[in-house]
Parts: sequence; C-alpha cells; structure tokens
Amino acid sequence: MNQQSQSTFPKFGLLIGLVVMLAAVAGVIVVLQTNPFGEQGSGLPESFDYDLAKYRKIDPALIGYQQTGEIALAMKEPRAVAVGPEDRIYVAGDRAICIFAPDETKLSRIALDDQPQCLAVGRDGGVYIGMKDHVEVYDPSGTRIADWQSLGDRAVLTSIAPAEQHVFVADAGNRIVWRYDTNGERLGRIGERNEKKGVLGFVIPSPYFDVAMAPDGLLRVVNPGAHRIRAYTVEGEEETPLEWGERSIGIEGFCGCCNPAAIAILPDGRFVTGEKGIPRVKVYGALGNFECVVAGPETFAPMPTSTEETRVPHKLKVIDLAADSEGRIFVLDPDARRICILEPKKEDSK
Amino acid sequence: MADSDGKIDRRTFVGNIVRAGGAIGIGGAAVALAAAKGRLGDAVWQIDPDKCIACGNCATYCVLDPSAVECVHNFAMCGYCDLCTGYFEPEPNALNSGAENQLCPTGAIKRKFIEDPYFEYTIDKSLCIGCGKCVKGCSAFGNGSLFLQVDHDRCAGCNECSIAVACSSRAFTRVAAGDPYLLKGREGNG
Repeated sequence: MNQQSQSTFPKFGLLIGLVVMLAAVAGVIVVLQTNPFGEQGSGLPESFDYDLAKYRKIDPALIGYQQTGEIALAMKEPRAVAVGPEDRIYVAGDRAICIFAPDETKLSRIALDDQPQCLAVGRDGGVYIGMKDHVEVYDPSGTRIADWQSLGDRAVLTSIAPAEQHVFVADAGNRIVWRYDTNGERLGRIGERNEKKGVLGFVIPSPYFDVAMAPDGLLRVVNPGAHRIRAYTVEGEEETPLEWGERSIGIEGFCGCCNPAAIAILPDGRFVTGEKGIPRVKVYGALGNFECVVAGPETFAPMPTSTEETRVPHKLKVIDLAADSEGRIFVLDPDARRICILEPKKEDSK
Repeated sequence: MADSDGKIDRRTFVGNIVRAGGAIGIGGAAVALAAAKGRLGDAVWQIDPDKCIACGNCATYCVLDPSAVECVHNFAMCGYCDLCTGYFEPEPNALNSGAENQLCPTGAIKRKFIEDPYFEYTIDKSLCIGCGKCVKGCSAFGNGSLFLQVDHDRCAGCNECSIAVACSSRAFTRVAAGDPYLLKGREGNG
C-alpha cells in the first residue's frame, strides 16, 4: 500500500507540472494575442505606417537660440503669453493673469471671472484680455476698466494687437480681424471674404489665428490655411507686396494644414513663428526669409509619441509666443506649464 | 436557535444576518442587471474615438476581410483644407489627387473642390480597410475630423470581438445597439 502511494505521487506531481507549464504557455499566447504594446502586432505593411520622426529632427546647425531661463507656471491651463512695458511678462490661463518681472520673479496676479483665451498689453500698461466672445480691459493695477460688447455666439477670439489709436482683435469663428478704437468702439472688419472683389478671406481651419503689430506700423495677420502672413495698414488696407510665407514640411516653410499657429515680432521687425503638429519655433527676416530655428520639437514636453498623437486631438494645446525689447523670445509650453526664455546663441557657444 | 425565553443564540443570529445579506445581495444584483439591460438593450461593440490611437490593429484583427472597422468623417469638424494632412502624404509633390500624393494606401478618400480654397473629403466605404493612417495624418496637424468606427452594417456582432481583444488602448466599448456610433462633435457623417 505504502509502495503503491509512493509510485503514484511522482506521476501526480508530473501531471501538475505539465498543467502549470501548459497554463504558462497559454498565458504567453494570450498576452501576445492581446498585443499590449500597441502597433507591434497589426501586421500591416510599411506603406501603412505614418511616421513624422524624420521631420521632427532639426539640424543642430540651424538652431540659433539657446534657453537662458524658465518660468514655471502654477496654472492648469496656461493659454497665452505677452510682454508689456518694462518687459514685464504676462501669462493668461485658468481664470487669471500672472505678471512676472524680466528676472522671472512673480509680481502680481489679476483674477478673472472666466477663462481667458488670449491677451495683449498696450504701451500704457493696459491689459487687453480676449474671452471667447468679447474683450475685457484692465488697468496696470489690475482693475477692470472696460468690458467690450460681445461679438456673438460665433466669435472665437484668438489674438489681440494694440496699436497707438487702435486695437485689433482676431476672431477665428468669424474669420476676420475686428478693428476697434481704444475705447472699445468697433470701427470695421479686416480681411472679410468678398467674392465679388476676389477677396478669399482668411482660411482658418482650427482656432489658431494670430495678429501682431510690427515696428513699421503695419498690422501682421496670419492666414494659417494658406501658410502666409499678411500685412495691413491700421485702416485695414492690405499691403499685398509684404505678404510672405511658404507651405512646406521642410524647415523653411510652415507645415501641416494650417500654420503658423502663433507669431511674435522682434524689436527690429523680424518675425518669430510657432507651429503646431510638429512644434517648432523659428525666426524669419522682416521680409520673410528664413533665418534660424529657435526651438525644435525636442524642447517641448511631452514629446508626442505614436500613442499620444491621435488621442483627443481637438484638445491638444498649442504654443504661444512673445518677444521683449531686448530680443528675448518667450515660448509658452502649455503641456509643461512653463515659459521658456530663449536668447540668441553667443558666438563662443555655437 | 431560540431558547425557552424566545431569545436566539449568537450562532443563529449571525446565520440570520448572513442569510439576509446574501438575499439582499442577490436581489440587488438582479435589479442592477435588469436596470442595465433595460438601459442598454442589446449591446454592440464600438470604438471610443477619444481613446483610439489608430494603431492599425482594426485592419487586421477583425474576423472579416475587409475589417468591419472603417474611417468616418465628421464634416462639422473638418476645416475643408486644401492641404488636408489626412489625404496627402507629409511631403506631397503637388496638391492634387495623383496617387503618389495620397496618404491612403487604398485610395479610399475622395477629394472634391467646393469653392476656392476649400475641398471636401469623403470616404469610399468599399475601399476603406480601417487602417487608420488618415486618422493619424488628420489628427497630427488638423482637427481630428477623421476617425474610426465599427460599421454595424458589416460587423458580424461577435460576442468576443477579436479587435477588442487586440486593442491596446482599450478603445473598444459596448454601446446600445439602438445608438451604436460614438461620433465626435455634435454631428457626424459617414
């Protein structure tokens, strides 16, 4: 009896071992079938790949700027950056405007009733804040002094450019730039489509439509769907010879369906442009000739991956730009919730 | 068990509590199941477009050939771009319908001029295999108006969907058969 149970036990153990081994093999097969590593298992040929990796790489020789500072933002959703008098840095986001000194120390905070979409600061220190459908104006101390009339349900305000006697407001929803006086009275529309006159209007597929005043006294307006930047007088007349921009995924042009998403103008009239899709910031001459790269995709966090790029694309955050009187460039990196401060590389650091 | 005073001992008391709890649990589960069935009715598989990463598995893991998954287009979200990054290769030679410029390997997207400078893009269902390449192109630069959905005119309705098993982003979900699509925005057009 005892001998019989001794001879049965090894067979029983072997059977258990076999079952465990089979279970392990089955587990491996299940793991492989469920394809936990994304695209590894689709089995589609190479022609089905969509790969932008080579376009994300920037030739280091083209990078003419280096990061010299950074402002960490205590905001969940920073939306816009601007520079005001004395090179103070203004950041709009959540329901507030945060103001920083040029040395990056925080100076003050203006609380808002709603989420700001864009902002600009006048020479007198007046702060113009674009909400979805109207502009609010604050004095330099942070007191609200005006609440301009709503532009209607269709309005999507995306950028503001104050001038001496005018304020220009980009409206992506209506695909025009509104021309105001400084008291908030509407004076006209710029760039409206008019087929009889052969004016195509601005092409704005997504809500990124930027404007900026240049030192030459002309308003610059991005026409993102055409990958161009137009020039207008403060009266709203287009200066066609000054229009520039090239559609290209190459570094000299603007990539994707609609770019640049943001512009800023340096004190000498040169342009800083920011693109979405492949996030890259570049400097162009006053006539639109490509000069150098300020920052490439590797600067911005998080680096888009194959698993992130298609998820909730309509909620993707896009960089914003500003420049100060010293030529420093401020790039809002909304995903990292920070402002990157970049300056031209010095000769010995190139 | 109750003693002569009508009192019950501890064991009987605990036993009664456990039985009552079990009965309540079974009853609650039955009510919850009935409520879920009433709410959902018959359920079918669908792709949550906000979770989908267009990995390509939909094209190859479906028991059907071609797959029951295909691209749909929400025109309300579309920018009608001349340079549509869901239609064109990243570096097209020209913005025309030449095969060498098209992103879709099966040529399933049709480009039609509307008015200067706008173009409309529609999906030819008979050619789409649900690979999601156009979805990636549209989402990388554009508004994400192209996205993948299970076409319930074609879906075999497997209880265990083989694409759902292979879906790495867990984008497959059960939805009511009476409302079987998860479209982006307020409107959607296939």
